[in-house]
Amino acid sequence: MTSKYGDDASADAKLVDRFLRRDVSAFEELYDRHCRIVYALVMRIVQQAPTAEEVVQDVFLHLWRNAGQYQSARGPFVPWLLTLARNRALDHLRLKSERQRRREDQTEDMPAIAQAPEYEKALDEKRRAERVRSLMGTLSAPQKKAIEMAYFEGLSHSEIANALQEPLGTVKSWIRNGLLRLKEGLRTAS
Amino acid sequence: MSEQDQFRELIEGYAIGALDPNERLALEAHLAEGCPECAKALEEGRLLVSQLAYLAPPAEPSEMLKARLLRTVRAESAPAKIAETKSPGRSIPLWLWAGVAALLFLSVYSSWDARKLQNTVQDMKAREAAELKQREQLNQELTLAKHEAWILTDPNSKKIDIMPNDKAMPVLEAVWHPQMGIYITGQKMPMPKGNKVLQLWLIPKAPGAKPMPSHTFWPDANGKITEMVDDPPEVMAQTKALAITEEPAGGSQQPTSTPIWVGGVS
Repeated sequence: MTSKYGDDASADAKLVDRFLRRDVSAFEELYDRHCRIVYALVMRIVQQAPTAEEVVQDVFLHLWRNAGQYQSARGPFVPWLLTLARNRALDHLRLKSERQRRREDQTEDMPAIAQAPEYEKALDEKRRAERVRSLMGTLSAPQKKAIEMAYFEGLSHSEIANALQEPLGTVKSWIRNGLLRLKEGLRTAS
Repeated sequence: MSEQDQFRELIEGYAIGALDPNERLALEAHLAEGCPECAKALEEGRLLVSQLAYLAPPAEPSEMLKARLLRTVRAESAPAKIAETKSPGRSIPLWLWAGVAALLFLSVYSSWDARKLQNTVQDMKAREAAELKQREQLNQELTLAKHEAWILTDPNSKKIDIMPNDKAMPVLEAVWHPQMGIYITGQKMPMPKGNKVLQLWLIPKAPGAKPMPSHTFWPDANGKITEMVDDPPEVMAQTKALAITEEPAGGSQQPTSTPIWVGGVS
């Protein structure tokens, strides 16, 4: 999933700046850089290629039509894009199943992603993917499963506890401790 | 464990979207009070959670998707440029004016064709009027759709779960944008009894202040609600909660029944 341009953060920032000025070629470059990870994420959530393409199209058109929503001063672009893509995919999933939304809504996700810490700046996309997978591999199988159910399926602690037949407190600890270990591991990698 | 520590323990679950409603509402209230430590932890949590995307198996979209996207983006880009070069207010294409002018010119010299020409012009005007009317209708629908989309996607909007008193009833969702209004959605809604309607109320924070009446509405035949309140009578910061009651047809100035749904705004 490495982009053909590499993942130089400053190049990304310049590209976003051109994109915000409605430069179609910048939009195309941004798409080329990030479509694979966005598609992979959406595909993992919705599980069907035609639906995934529909959601990815929706995500990038939203970017184009609402370019001003992204503000580089308030957080790095790629996590913002991935958050948008995840929320759109989960929305699609929930609309399909008519489940109520329990996650934090995208409108609150968007503005407050932290400025990239060192690990975000230092790791290119491929290394970051390898590192995240490697760190997740150190978690116990049910702990990893619980985090994936929350992230990719949009399930709440209670729903995960029910699905895994585990105490609610155990599931909460799994997810929190797993994320904290992931955070520490990424920080160490920087 | 201090209350602060308890909230701090919820941050990662909130960032990944796994908190159950009670915990989520409690943490949101805490964040709304302006806790800098939790706000910073949440920003870091969101960044961390976004990294989980890299767990997805590698996959590539089709080339057709890119082609479709670029076609749409270029098409949307082009009209804007053309529009910039047009003089304001010119809505009828030049060729149409040229056609009409040519026909009028010919009518001077071809009196035998005058009636036919007149009919043609009238027909064109009628068609033009119909098209303008249709365009106006489409514009209105587009404006409403944009309005809704804006509210649903703008970072300044706030999502509010409107919980039922009766667990058998569905949970409603409101998204409130400080300037654009409130967009309420719900599924599987029962129809109000008798000749009653559902009415939205804004409950002010000020002690003793009366609930502010807002829109009345009904579910559609499928039990679905999509209600746009583009003129909320109170600002979000001064509102404690949204409530929905059943009221007589036409709505009430003060609630006449106990709220069936209530959602905390902050």
